[in-house]
Amino acid sequence: MTAIRTTDLTKVYKDTVAVDRLNLEIEEGELFSLLGVNGAGKTTTIKMLSTLTKPSFGDAEIMGHSILSDQKNIKKLIDISMQETAIARKLTVEENIEFYAKLSGQTRDEAEQTKKTVFSDFGLDKVSKKQASKLSGGWQRKLSIALALVTNPKVLFLDEPTLGLDVIARRELWKTIRQLKSKMTVILTTHYMEEAEALSDRIGIMKDGSLLFVGTKEELYAKTGKTDVENAFISIVSGGELND
Amino acid sequence: MTRSFSRIQTLTKRNIKEIIRDPLSLVFMLALPLFMEILFYLIFHKLTAQFEMRYLAPGIVVFSQSFLTLFTGLLISMDRKTSFLTRLYVSEAKPSEFIFGYALSVIPLALIQAVLFFLVGGIIDTSLFGAGIIPAILLSLVSSLFFIASGILIGSLCNEKSIGGVSSIIITGQSVLSGMWFPVEGLSPTVTTVMKVLPFKNATMLIQNMILGVSDVFSDFLVPSLIVLGYTVIMFILAILAFRSKMIEK
Repeated sequence: MTAIRTTDLTKVYKDTVAVDRLNLEIEEGELFSLLGVNGAGKTTTIKMLSTLTKPSFGDAEIMGHSILSDQKNIKKLIDISMQETAIARKLTVEENIEFYAKLSGQTRDEAEQTKKTVFSDFGLDKVSKKQASKLSGGWQRKLSIALALVTNPKVLFLDEPTLGLDVIARRELWKTIRQLKSKMTVILTTHYMEEAEALSDRIGIMKDGSLLFVGTKEELYAKTGKTDVENAFISIVSGGELND
Repeated sequence: MTRSFSRIQTLTKRNIKEIIRDPLSLVFMLALPLFMEILFYLIFHKLTAQFEMRYLAPGIVVFSQSFLTLFTGLLISMDRKTSFLTRLYVSEAKPSEFIFGYALSVIPLALIQAVLFFLVGGIIDTSLFGAGIIPAILLSLVSSLFFIASGILIGSLCNEKSIGGVSSIIITGQSVLSGMWFPVEGLSPTVTTVMKVLPFKNATMLIQNMILGVSDVFSDFLVPSLIVLGYTVIMFILAILAFRSKMIEK
């Protein structure tokens, strides 16, 4: 089943076209990475798909529901982890999970069960009683992503999930993200080419709001004649001008 | 309806924890006004009637509420800065539920402020413990809504760096234009007119009149009540509009 289908999805801010007629299909259970330099339109795309921003033109369907007319049902199916560490700072790790579970309509027993599952998936039990603001950057990011899973979404948007993390914390998060594969559809934006290479089923490359490439790593390598995502990305984005 | 109520309850509980776990908020909302209440009474109450407890305690209650603007605004702007609110926008919660969540979480603090400052005031000057104290506490909750709505508005529009400066307009307004720190009789007609049409003096006067006794229902109760309520409604409308506009980018 198609999890996400966009049709000429466009976002215009005053004179700037942030996303330009995006046509894309992402299958259920797929881990899809959107790559692009700053201002490529990755975050705007995610914001439109997650109903946070209204498109200027075009439409998108999430599990068959239109982002223009069926936001209520979409909100039941999706969750998002933003670039920033979006957690309740003065709440403990445990309270954060409970808060988000209850906000999504879970009963006390369901919230308790969710807490156990999320704690075991993310190893958060070690820091459960700690106030979120006192955690290290890596733990805070882990908690931020864990919160997005509390609602058990069918489609999960991860916007730059490992931004600013050290290499160990990043690898730990990769491990966690890999575990999500097949459980749900994951759309990930990232600046880190090795991250896309390590995690993605398919990759989309955006530049100036346009989608320049969609396909698997192998298709990307075949198209550009490169053997790694970074060089292939540079080749696509620069139109071959910055090739080695 | 039940789901909506449950979400408001969840948001309110979270916001209360966020505010009371910030020691600075407790210092400004409770400790500082309490210190001022005792200090100003001890220094000035024999010099001028302005600082007798029947005037001072209601003034301090409303003055302390101006800090609710600062801390409500700070909470919202920090939730915006960290994208915590953005994450919550993806949930099924509606803008009105967020607004209720923020407002309801601050009302218990306003109640604690009123009870604390009247209680301490009453211990210092027992004449404060009269029939008017309960209506004064209840009406102070109404005036607190004006400051809470201002906080929601400012928090929706400003970033966490500018919150202090913008909120100080309300805090200074309450200090200078409430007439609690100096007698208003000697002021120019323009200044007194400004004070009459703004909510600060009216809120202070309304609570003071509950303690002092209402001699003219129209001028002592109805007019200040309507002015404070009017500003509160306007602030809430502006706050809801600002909050909604931030919730979904057009």
